[in-house]
Amino acid sequence: MVMTHGLLTGSLATWFYTTAPALAQSHRVLLYDLRGHGRSARTASGYDTQTLADDLTALTQSIADPITLVGHSYGALIALKFALKHPARVARLVLVETPLPPSRMEEFTQFVQQSPDAMINALPAAMQSMFSDGGSNRRARRLLESLRFLTAECSLVPDLLAETDVTNESLAAIECPVLAVHGASSSLRSVGQRLAQTIESCSTVELPGGHYLPLESSQALTETIVGFCRG
Amino acid sequence: MTHTSDILARVSQAIRDVIGEDWIQDETIEMSTSFANDLELESIEFVALAERLQNEFGERVDFVAWLSTMELDAIIGLSVGDVVEFIASCLS
Repeated sequence: MVMTHGLLTGSLATWFYTTAPALAQSHRVLLYDLRGHGRSARTASGYDTQTLADDLTALTQSIADPITLVGHSYGALIALKFALKHPARVARLVLVETPLPPSRMEEFTQFVQQSPDAMINALPAAMQSMFSDGGSNRRARRLLESLRFLTAECSLVPDLLAETDVTNESLAAIECPVLAVHGASSSLRSVGQRLAQTIESCSTVELPGGHYLPLESSQALTETIVGFCRG
Repeated sequence: MTHTSDILARVSQAIRDVIGEDWIQDETIEMSTSFANDLELESIEFVALAERLQNEFGERVDFVAWLSTMELDAIIGLSVGDVVEFIASCLS
């Protein structure tokens, strides 16, 4: 199983602190940081889903068996792109809060137009506590540095705004079992209906919470993914 | 207690390596030192630390299984001593 995280505040910690340890009790789980995020190199370009899906291809090259891909947010879009390009390599797809079409990532577009400080304030409380409390605020400072790089010093924002929608025709070609998970209060809720209507093998689940389901509904999400992989 | 102090020394060195900044090299790291409040470790740095300690102490120390029993708040609240004692309990 390979898990991909979302942009900006995401890193492999998104999964490491939430559902990955429980999933690792029954699966071999691979986590990684997308380029520019976490402890991966800060590259100037290559934040479009195609390049990021190519990174995933390179990373999983040595895995012989078809993999279960679990992605959150932009990570779900990367997983989807990977599955469209390499259908034989994917056993199952778990798409958590997929921003489709990418241009309707209203929350994201609003999010990146703020100052880095305002970005931190806009995060859910559970995530804020990971970044800022007490001391000299080393963590908050490093998060601000990272947000500044990702939103202003690399091609991430233009790459993202240039992303085109995945056509219904391509979606319909997906044959592996797909699980689309959405937050009941997320603006991306309706994407679940579209995925279920276009992909024959797609089931949908709605969990309490908004966009940051790995944090907001961690345990329910873990149980949902475990159940899906067993079924 | 040589055992625990030996583990503390190795964990402290791993923390200094993962943070990799000048200030941490002379910082006192004790059992009561908190990862979040005292060291202000980033969540991703704690993951790197866990991986490093896993490699250093071997598969008898299963960090992932340990963390799977904890809520996020509990992980954020961990002290260096919690990790040292966990490692000691795995090795004993």
